[in-house]
Amino acid sequence: MQFDVKNNVALQNVLAAMEVERKKISAAQTKGYLGIGLGVLLLILGFVLGFPAAGVVALIALGLVGGIILYRIGDELHAYKDAYKQNVIGAALKFLDPSLTLKPYEGILAQEFVYSQLFTKNPDRYKTEDLVSGIAGKTGFYFAEVHAEYKTVHQTKNGTRTEWHDIFKGMIFVADFNKNFKGVTVIRPKDFGAALGAWFSSNLFSFGNKDLVKLENTDFDKAFVTYATDQVEARYILTPAMMERILNLHNSAKYAISLSFIESRMYIGFPLDRNYFEAPIFKTLLNPQLLDDDIAAIKFMYDIVQELDLNTRIWGEN
Amino acid sequence: MIIAIVIGFLVLIGIFFYNSLIGKKNQVTNAFSAIDVMLKKRFDLIPNLVEVVKQYTNYEQGTLTKIVELRAKATSGNVSDAERAQIDTQLGSSINGLMLNVENYPDLKANTNFINLQTTWTESEEQIAAARRTYNSAVTDYNNAIMMFPGSLFAGMLNFRPETVLETAAEERKNISAKELFNN
Repeated sequence: MQFDVKNNVALQNVLAAMEVERKKISAAQTKGYLGIGLGVLLLILGFVLGFPAAGVVALIALGLVGGIILYRIGDELHAYKDAYKQNVIGAALKFLDPSLTLKPYEGILAQEFVYSQLFTKNPDRYKTEDLVSGIAGKTGFYFAEVHAEYKTVHQTKNGTRTEWHDIFKGMIFVADFNKNFKGVTVIRPKDFGAALGAWFSSNLFSFGNKDLVKLENTDFDKAFVTYATDQVEARYILTPAMMERILNLHNSAKYAISLSFIESRMYIGFPLDRNYFEAPIFKTLLNPQLLDDDIAAIKFMYDIVQELDLNTRIWGEN
Repeated sequence: MIIAIVIGFLVLIGIFFYNSLIGKKNQVTNAFSAIDVMLKKRFDLIPNLVEVVKQYTNYEQGTLTKIVELRAKATSGNVSDAERAQIDTQLGSSINGLMLNVENYPDLKANTNFINLQTTWTESEEQIAAARRTYNSAVTDYNNAIMMFPGSLFAGMLNFRPETVLETAAEERKNISAKELFNN
């Protein structure tokens, strides 16, 4: 059953009310930015025509007016974005499964991100929001948007320059796994660096406490590099059927996914290039396709439990 | 001087390949003992399973006796690896057959002890399968190392022989389906 935005009367009423608010915010933002833009334009004109002082005054005056307009609409903008997440995205979640909840200001803690061992680098800057949690069948799960970055500091002539690089930007999905295990199994996409590391690990020496696991599914081994603390346990988790399911999931995702299995939990990182669940400001809320992308994202996460067959509980994890 | 460096370099390479071969051989031994550990775990389950099933069924006595006999034979200690593997396969199929027949005994199917034993059984079955796959992977790795140059030179000198991979039983290659096994 598809979530139908157009024929959902309750949601349409909410959206109609929010549309008024959105128009007000978008008008204020347009005015604010126009004010600042005009100020900059007059400054340039002032310099070009030989009246720099007048240009500076115009910029200060118009910039101030624009800034005040933007500042005054700030609280309303905040409330509008919150209401969108709670009432609009929330309604879509409840429609999909009543157990689903969205907490806009919560997420996956940085400690848990590091603990998941999905990525090798530890973040220097970490942002997370929009925690969605629920239960699909017998399996509890949650996911949230995460942006983790590390920094590099370069020496330059004038001191130092700090650059920020992405470790991960996207959704982290966490679910109870249906088998008991004690060790750690990590599955990372096979890029050049990972392939080189795997070659070293199998031919020269292994580093860290995890060894390379060579799996018999060649497609799986082509797409991923697997490391585990226990070879047998890694294969207990990654049965031939499970490898196929992970490959399917990998193929349906836009970018290469990473997985880890720790303490009877599974973590999956889905890199994404946009921010989900955000209220539009300069586009109407009354567009029937408004929620399509967000719903598709939620549905994708929700279906993972089915896709990976996590509800089959015949291995002593109930 | 140059000759000394070359010889030193060759000795280093020799040590490296020798160590890597020994490492791979040890991995095969390790992986084989991992299968043993898992099988032992499964053997330990059998007496409990037989006890619970006995209480509820009158018609499976033949199968139960066979299972008990097979277990005794396997754990007696004076069987070869090949014989044990064979006994193990028979044991596995007898018990899986028994599990399928549970359909006929609704009381047994609902018994909590039995349900626990069933899940532990499936768990141990899949752990055994995982241990076998680990063994096969270690054997392939080892065989590749001793058959390819320059590993083949050392293997010849040290009398290292290729190992054979375990044939995976047909039912292990299939996906384990809860419905098929227990009809939950």
